[in-house]
Order: sequence, then C-alpha cells, then structure tokens
Amino acid sequence: MNSRMEKRTEPALSPLLLAMRGVVKTFGRSTAVDGIDLDVPERAFLTLLGPSGCGKTTVLRMIAGFETPDAGDMRLDNTPLAGVPPERRPVNTVFQSYALFPHLTVNENVAFALKLRGGVPDIPARVRRALEAVHMTDFGDRYPHQLSGGQQQRVAVARSIIAEPRLLLLDEPLSALDRKMRGHLQIELKALQRRLGIAFVYVTHDQEEAFALSDIVVVMNKGRIAQKADPQTIYSRPADSFVADFIGNSTLVEGRILERRGDMATIGTPLGDITAPVADGLAGGEAAMLVIRPELLSTRGEGPATFSGIVNNCVFQGERNMVQAEVAGIPLRFAAEAPHAAGTSVALWLDADHSFITRIAT
Amino acid sequence: MTFRQSHLALPVAVAIMAGCIAPLAVLVAFSFYEVEDFDLIPAFSFRAWGDLATSTTDWFLIGKAVLSGVATTVFTALLGFPVALALTRLATSAKGLAIIVLLTPLYTGEIVRIYAWRIVLGGEGLVNTLLLGLGLIDEPLKFLLFSPFTIGLVLTYNNLPFMVLAIWVSAEMVDRRLIEAARDLGARPVDAFFRVIFPLTTPGLAAGSLTVFALSAGEMLTPSLLGGTSGATAMALVDNLFGTAFDWPLASALALALLATLFLVASAMAGLLLRLKGARAVIGRA
Repeated sequence: MNSRMEKRTEPALSPLLLAMRGVVKTFGRSTAVDGIDLDVPERAFLTLLGPSGCGKTTVLRMIAGFETPDAGDMRLDNTPLAGVPPERRPVNTVFQSYALFPHLTVNENVAFALKLRGGVPDIPARVRRALEAVHMTDFGDRYPHQLSGGQQQRVAVARSIIAEPRLLLLDEPLSALDRKMRGHLQIELKALQRRLGIAFVYVTHDQEEAFALSDIVVVMNKGRIAQKADPQTIYSRPADSFVADFIGNSTLVEGRILERRGDMATIGTPLGDITAPVADGLAGGEAAMLVIRPELLSTRGEGPATFSGIVNNCVFQGERNMVQAEVAGIPLRFAAEAPHAAGTSVALWLDADHSFITRIAT
Repeated sequence: MTFRQSHLALPVAVAIMAGCIAPLAVLVAFSFYEVEDFDLIPAFSFRAWGDLATSTTDWFLIGKAVLSGVATTVFTALLGFPVALALTRLATSAKGLAIIVLLTPLYTGEIVRIYAWRIVLGGEGLVNTLLLGLGLIDEPLKFLLFSPFTIGLVLTYNNLPFMVLAIWVSAEMVDRRLIEAARDLGARPVDAFFRVIFPLTTPGLAAGSLTVFALSAGEMLTPSLLGGTSGATAMALVDNLFGTAFDWPLASALALALLATLFLVASAMAGLLLRLKGARAVIGRA
C-alpha cells in the first residue's frame, strides 16, 4: 500500500496515521494556519470544522501536498511528508467542486489513478467495485456533464478510493448539494468509511454534518485549533466562547466567576448568579462565559422559575418553535412545542447542571 | 420569423458572400477565358486548367505552400504551448503586460521586421558577428539568411503570437482543480499535461492552428524578401501571372487550385483536432 511513498524510515509503533506539529502557513501577509498540532489516528473520521477563512481547507491542502508549510513537521505513517509531491502521497482528495475530468467517462475517471500506475491488473473489475461502493455501476459510460450533482459526487468518491489511499481527504464534499441529498450521502459516506477502514479527514463549516459523521471534531478559528474532541464533548463542554457560539444556537452570557468548587462554579451574570459545570483552568475572579443551549431552557419546571422574560421573536421550524425572549436585556433562545406570541411574558426554567461555563475566546 | 441568436451572424454572412464568394465566382469565370494580344476574351476554354494540370512547377509551389503552412503550424504549436501555459500562471496584472509584449512584434509592420531580420541574420549581421567574436565559428554561417531556414524561422516568429493567444485563452478555461485532481490521483506534472491540460486545450490549439496555417501558407512577402532562391511561392506566381505575364485565366486557375488545396488541408486539420475527446468535452455540449 505504501508503494507510492518513500520507504518507511522506521516501523509505525502507534496507530497514529498522520501527525502535524507546529505547522504554519502564510499567504502574503495573512496567516492561514498559525502553528497547529494535529493527530489523525488510523481508521478515524476526523472533521475540521470552522467558518470560512479559519484555515481548515489550507490544512487539508497541506496534507494533500498542494501547499507547502512554512514551518512545522508533517508525518504520514511516521514518514516525513516534506518534499513529497501530491502524486507520491498515499492520500487522495474528494474536491468540493468534484473536479471530475470532463473529457473522460465515469469509468475512465474512476480508472485514472490505476491507469497512471501502469501494469495494474484487472482495472475494469476494480472500477466496477469502486462504482458499486457508491451505487453508480449503471453510469460507467456517461460523461460527468450527464450526471446530477449527487451522482458526480459519488463518482468523485469512487475515483478517490480506488487506489486504496491511507487517508482520504474530503473538502466540503456535500456543500453544493440540496439538504435531502446531503443527508443521504452523509449516511453513505459514514458507512463507506467504516467498511473501508480508511481514515477520513473531512472539512466542513456545517456543525450538524460534523457531529453526524465524526469520531473526532477539530474546531478551528483564525488558523488555530480551538478545540479537538468527540462531538458530544464539543457540544456540551465547548472549550471557549468561539466554539460555543459556532456550534449551536446557544446564548452566551458574559460574567465573572464568583467561586469555584471542583468542577462547578458560580458565575455572576446580568441574569443573576448561576452555578454550573466549569471549564478546566478557570478560577474565581476570572471573566468567563455562561453557555445556555436552547434545550436547557424550559417553559415548565419545578419550584420558582429561573427567569422571566418577554418574547420578542418566534420562528416555526417544523418539529418545534425557536423562541427568543429577552431577560435583563439579554436575548435567550429556547425551543418550544407551542408558538409564543411576541410581546407576551414567559417564565423559564434553566437546567443549570447541563449548561457550561467556559473561557472567553481571544 | 422569430429572432434567433444565429441571426446575429447574418450581416457578416452577407458580407462574406459579397466580398468573397462573388469574387471567387469571377475568378472561376476568368479561368475559362482566353488571352489574345493582351486582351481577355470570354470563351469556354480549358486551356488554363490544362496548363495548370500539366505544370509540375505550379503543383510544386502549391505543395510548398501547404508544407510551409503545416510546418509553421507545428513549430508555433510546439513553441507556443509552454508560453501559453506560463501565461496562465501569471498574476492578473502581469498577464495584461505579457500579452502586450507578446504582440509587440506585430505593431512594427512586416517590411520593417523583414529588414530587421536581414540586419540580424546577414553575413555581417548580429548573429554571425557574435558567433565569430566568441570564436564559435570561423566564417559567417551562410544558411542564416536567404534560405529555407530563414523562411521557417521568420514565419514561425511572425505567427507565434496568434498561436500563443489562442492556446492561452483555452488554457485559462481549464479549471485549476482538474490539474490538482490529476496530481492527487498520481499524475506527475507531465502526465497531468498530456492527460488533462492538453486534451482540454485542443479547441484553442485548433483555433490557433487554423489561423497560423491560413496566414503562413499564403505568405508571400517573407519568402520572397528573405528566402533568396528558395523564396518562390504560389502566391508570387499568381501575382506575376495577373501582372507582368498577363495570363489572367491561368492566374485564376492557380489561385483557385491553391485555395481549394489549402481549404481541404485546413478542413482536415479542423476535423482532426475538433474530433478529439477533449475538444468535444469543451465545445460539444450543445
């Protein structure tokens, strides 16, 4: 499998597939990637999540070999990647625009990598197997422009897995598709990844997609890694206010930690003093951010209500209503089954034990 | 009749009919005339066509025109491809400048350029003086001027901008991501060129080839002023027959034969290039 790379300098001892250390990439005066460390274990589905311009695509392009890091070290299977051109890396890419060759049929597109190697036996059978994996066997003789966007994406995936890469890179592969097709392909990509056992590094700005697919989510902000964890942890314990803001509909309320006891702290905010789980390293007296996710606010509860506010907006979202109510000048978002008219008052109960106090992003 | 986009071509089509087809019809008529005492006499004579059919010189010159056109096309394509690809890699501001520089030779006018070549390539010219001075040669290179080499060199030089422009426009249309995809799938830069870039730039190559072929096959001035004894062309012969020789029928027949031959070769070239898969993928979607 490693025939395309220079021979290993030493056997890989850990199941670590890709290791990036202190990697920096600048374009002119702007720093796209600002010294990141990233490990991709074997068989992992890792997602780089962040807003446009956060550097996630640049990371992907450096792994593929299209960009050269200005500083830092990158190793694949413990072999340095520096100076290895894209064609000699056992890595393949699924491009955002699919990048299918317009002058080649589906079969020829998929066979491209094998034909280049020369002397690969039984190419037609391998092409058929790759197309089977993405349910496109009936389309082998078509040209890319005769296919829908979803079909083109499937072909792009087949083309990129046929050479059995060690690592598959996917650059916002589903962003051009409609919502329904995106959902279908998410499920298929996840199943394919499990079946092939190839590590995927997936770039997206869609947090739902990241959560649905990934074993590991790496949230990036301004060229740095803001948090790297499993989806549940990212969601319930965001490392800072940027992550909290980016991944959900949460309300962020700035305050100051009054007292910390173990994993819990009391934070003084315009909403009042609230005791909740707290991020590691935050101490009493520090400024911090209380993260209130929509599902932690309820219009029913035991005891006295935590807040009372005035509804100023209500958006019907199908299975629920997303309501925004103002409490002490702060707009709180919560989900409700029943619609709420603007201007009415509402009592809210907060499940503080599941909210989170995190640091303020710089 | 509703207006269609294709109707936009009507004015030009009419102009071509009037300015090209009609004179051709006149040529066809002349080719059957007779000449007596410097007078053109309307007759239905095959004399001119008979003369042409049996003249080895005439057909040699027609063949030479084809060869000259094809050779120039091949040389400009080989030299133009790297230049066109390099142009696509320049920054947008640099591209404009590069195009202007590329076209500079065309602003100078053909006669000026021809005499400049004489100065550069002559026995006591720039190249020979330089080579003699460096001690690389003992006596001036004779083949530099007034030889087939000169004609090939100058025709290639004159026509290179047209080839570069055509390929460049086509190469700009090739999505950079396709090249990255090819590299990603294991293509070395040279593989990426032959499997992706070249096929997708064949429309530009076809446009450039047809332009260069038409311009160079019919070229008369460069061969006659720089080609020396090898500078005879069918065009010059036509000129001579219409002028001093006053054989309009034969001139017409020769001009028509030359035109038909060049037209056939150009059609074959276009058909060949545009039938390639890459060209069909770019222009054949309709």
